[in-house]
Amino acid sequence: MAKILVIADIKQGVLKGSTAELLSKARALGAQTAVVAIGSNIESLTPDLANAGSDTQYIADDPGLELFSAGPWASCVVDAARQFEADLIWFGFSESGKAVAPRVAAQLSCACATEIIDVELDGGQIQITRPAIANKVMQKVKVNTPQLVAVVRAGAFEADPDITGTENIVKLSPPPPDVKAVIKELLSDASGEIDLADADIVVSVGRGARDQSGIDLVKELANDLKAGFGSSRAMVDSGLMPHNKQVGQTGKVVAPTLYVALGISGAIQHLAGMNGSKVILAVNKDPEAPIFNVADYGIVGDLFEVVPILREEIKKLS
Amino acid sequence: MKILTTVKKVVDVELNIHIKDGAIVEDGLQYVINAWDENAVEACVQLKENSNAETTLVSIGGGDNTDIIRKCYAMGIDKGIHIDDPALEKADSFVFARVLQKVYEKGDYDLVITGKQAQDTDSGQTGIILAEYLKVPCVSNVISIEVTDDQHIKVSRLGDAGTEIVELELPAVVTVSDSINEPRLPAMRGIMMAKKKKIDVMDLAALGTSYDEVAGVDLTSEVVEFMASESRGAGQKFEGDAAQITAKVVDLLANEAKVL
Repeated sequence: MAKILVIADIKQGVLKGSTAELLSKARALGAQTAVVAIGSNIESLTPDLANAGSDTQYIADDPGLELFSAGPWASCVVDAARQFEADLIWFGFSESGKAVAPRVAAQLSCACATEIIDVELDGGQIQITRPAIANKVMQKVKVNTPQLVAVVRAGAFEADPDITGTENIVKLSPPPPDVKAVIKELLSDASGEIDLADADIVVSVGRGARDQSGIDLVKELANDLKAGFGSSRAMVDSGLMPHNKQVGQTGKVVAPTLYVALGISGAIQHLAGMNGSKVILAVNKDPEAPIFNVADYGIVGDLFEVVPILREEIKKLS
Repeated sequence: MKILTTVKKVVDVELNIHIKDGAIVEDGLQYVINAWDENAVEACVQLKENSNAETTLVSIGGGDNTDIIRKCYAMGIDKGIHIDDPALEKADSFVFARVLQKVYEKGDYDLVITGKQAQDTDSGQTGIILAEYLKVPCVSNVISIEVTDDQHIKVSRLGDAGTEIVELELPAVVTVSDSINEPRLPAMRGIMMAKKKKIDVMDLAALGTSYDEVAGVDLTSEVVEFMASESRGAGQKFEGDAAQITAKVVDLLANEAKVL
């Protein structure tokens, strides 16, 4: 039976949904599951970690692990992987996952794959599927090592609500800090905002919003829908929107139930960051905009005219 | 300060890619410098201008990489190395990292700057694995680099919880996001000068290594099949009276798609 170790995705003390998604997939593959949780003051998360579908919880809980640092994180994962004798080591889609996975693979001398969307286990042979070339193609990759470290693409696996696990805590000794890469400060994203990565609805703004007044208008729609608020690259480059709001291949990759693209033309890098969404609504003045090629529903029109009507119509639903 | 940067020649993602019999149809493809590597080159050139850095690029890959190396020269890179060896055609991130390690060890560099991923594989591993091999500190997804003194740089990184400010002891590896800068368009004078500059072309033997040494026994993984991405396809597009079509779409979202 394969053994799959999932790295718990913890943000501001809360266990994120991707952990249960990955553990559900691991169980569906018939694997034995464990989770590794890294942070400070996280022991209270143990029941959540078990409920997400893990049967062993490796926990590295130390004040020195309050802020993310790739070196110590990798040490904890390698420690847990060796103790558990993991065959597959899975990270949910996150910047920390992308930073740590290659280090773990290098330390374990095994293959590493990012953005995987599927895994097949055939005896000891591992094969994965992942997009490449800005999502223009898919590739099937045969893994030649007995172990694989992988980062799973956002939205690739679904959580099974009926799955649960059992508590069986193994404490990891805290790794030494990385004295050559010292985190000096964390400029936190504004608190209270809805996290783009696991929002049910994401509303994104593009160049069609022109200036702050357009952004404010779109923001109101996002608030009405309790949606995550994202942006195209153009709006970030022009300084109107912060970097951490950029949806796209190089920013946040999102896969919400509903993605609303307002005044976004649909550059390939943007599409690669959102085309895993379940339903896409696009509003754009240009009927030829590439965003309409992926949108389930398209409205050809000026967002300044359409957004107020959208808000009115959506209010009528409740 | 001596900086090494890496540039990869990759398929142009703006063009359509076709698949036949599990492989990419090569016909009609065009190759360009990896977009993220262009950001890495720009970051190097800015450090040259502001902190007197000496800049070297290395490009790995069989075939003619002269055009992209000359482009980087025109942007302001001082020296170029092309590792040209047919054995590297199927190389994975680990093999590239081993080759880069050999280049690094020959040059006494203080800093390596790479793009955070290559647009052909979208893997984002090579720079990070290189740092592991070199046993030097590494920060990925970097959006600013500042030299603090001879031994240290301060970088900011877009992380999951916000922007992380990290002080790195040199030598170090950083991989950059495209948010770090806007790569310059080379000036005519730079383009003319770039034509005359020498490119140091070598195979693995000239680098003092062999395929067996950089690749080990076996590649850790290999692509066995390419498939076309499942296209979502266009759905319903509405034009006309804004009030009418918007009401219609909200109705569809609520009652057909059932997402509102």
